[in-house]
Amino acid sequence: MFSVKGITKSFGGLLAVNGVTFHLENGEVSSIIGPNGAGKTTLFNLLTGHIKPDSGEILFKDQDITGLPPHRICRKGIGRSFQRTNIFPRLSVFDNVQVAVMSWERKCRNIFLRARNMNQKETDEILDGVGLGDKKKMTAGLLAHGDQRLLEIGIALGSYPELLLLDEPTAGMSPEESNKTVELIQRLARGRDLTLLFIEHDMNVVFGISEQVRVMHLGSIIAEGSPEEIRANDEVQRIYLAEED
Amino acid sequence: MMEPELNRSHTIKTIGGLVAVLVGFLILPLFLPLGWLSLVNEMIILALAACGLNLMLGYAGMVSFGPAGLYAVGAYTTALFLYYTEIPFGLALIAGPVSAAIASVIIGWFCVRLTHVYFALLTLAFAQIIHTIVFEWYGFTKGDDGIVDIRVPAFLESITNYYYFSLIIVCICLALMWRIVNSPFGKTLQALRENPERTEFIGINVRLYQLSAFVLSGFFLGAAGSLFCGFNKNVFPNYAHWMKSTEMLVVCLLGGVYNFLGPVVGSIVYILLDKVITSFTQYWPLVLGLVVLALLLFLKGGIAGFISEKVSAGRASWGKGERNV
Repeated sequence: MFSVKGITKSFGGLLAVNGVTFHLENGEVSSIIGPNGAGKTTLFNLLTGHIKPDSGEILFKDQDITGLPPHRICRKGIGRSFQRTNIFPRLSVFDNVQVAVMSWERKCRNIFLRARNMNQKETDEILDGVGLGDKKKMTAGLLAHGDQRLLEIGIALGSYPELLLLDEPTAGMSPEESNKTVELIQRLARGRDLTLLFIEHDMNVVFGISEQVRVMHLGSIIAEGSPEEIRANDEVQRIYLAEED
Repeated sequence: MMEPELNRSHTIKTIGGLVAVLVGFLILPLFLPLGWLSLVNEMIILALAACGLNLMLGYAGMVSFGPAGLYAVGAYTTALFLYYTEIPFGLALIAGPVSAAIASVIIGWFCVRLTHVYFALLTLAFAQIIHTIVFEWYGFTKGDDGIVDIRVPAFLESITNYYYFSLIIVCICLALMWRIVNSPFGKTLQALRENPERTEFIGINVRLYQLSAFVLSGFFLGAAGSLFCGFNKNVFPNYAHWMKSTEMLVVCLLGGVYNFLGPVVGSIVYILLDKVITSFTQYWPLVLGLVVLALLLFLKGGIAGFISEKVSAGRASWGKGERNV
């Protein structure tokens, strides 16, 4: 359902992403790992339209989405979360997700209806899904870090994506929060029939839930396979896993 | 959401409060001397302008340094129509906000391509361009002589009648703005203010929404300009001056930009301060400077923000708090 063909981006002289090619099947849960500076987040920014690639092609459900602006890509059914928490801090938790749902239903241009109780059911459902149902009245910026990360996923779900890109969803979380988040991601993937692609540093998370793992190094994908294959891969051992220790 | 019962009692209280304020404004002419009534009229028109600016400033988070430009477009459109043509007063009055909105489409189209300080400076530049055109185009706009003795219908000649007229227009405009900020569009603007990048990734065309906010804001600024033109019966280039823009910004900050009625409170306090202080000293700008300083250092949410914070803190201590931006 999602194909990336030879995507390349350089900043000045630095080749940040170099001819990356991969393909995601419908419902696949996979991850991208790689040392810092490998170009993972840049790749995400290319896939979601945040920056335009120099060359290459991105196909989503057989449609060419290369170079479209983020809001158009989002409308096609690709959602994302961010590495650094990226929410609407002074709005309530409920409003954070509600605005995404309203946008998905193309209600945001309406200037005369009352927004207050709009899409309450859908919003509550998403908030319950990410475990923030009882905190929905709180101001989002006052949530604990872990909860803000969950809200981040909630906002992304508000756009009812078919493909969800998660940029380090467990960054900065305690091991306990991390486990909860992993469970959540697994539940989401099954329950909502989502195709998931995430960047992750935590190896337990990566090998715990991915069906496919891709390893990026210096802007290129150097290995691709099941978690077992990646664990056994000598090159990966050398450049990545060794760095962990 | 709060429990329905509490919600309802809260709504009733709010509506009750608003009705009381409105009745207060309605009976003012009964006992207020004309000079003061005139001042109140100025106050409510400034409140309308500031609320218009606040759509963009407080709700969409777009800091404009040039609201007076659009205000002047409204004022001059009405004035020029009444001076050069025979069209009815009502039409000339409506032409003001409409032409300000059209000007906003053009100006906004350029401005929303920039952000932060660059956005602010470009709005200032456009306002100065408007000021220069009005000031230099002597043959058409009468330059710094201004357009004076603008005709208004006989029934609006009296200060009291014009006051009621302004009050009605301002109330209608505020009701429209209230509707807008509580609509899905209004909520989207708030999301945009909080985090434009994230808003883009929930499928919102950020520039288009910013432009819409700019145009709506321009419409209401123009309405205020038109209304003031009819009240003052004169228009001058300084309507577009950056000092006028600063005045509107200060009014918003003084009252509180995160509160719908903040700019209204701000304009009341501002005009009163102006009146009281200028009767003691000619150094009003100095005092104003100190007020702004105090505001930015100690009262970031403005007066209305401060009050609503105290009120919601009071309510929260009863265990039933809800914070509403």
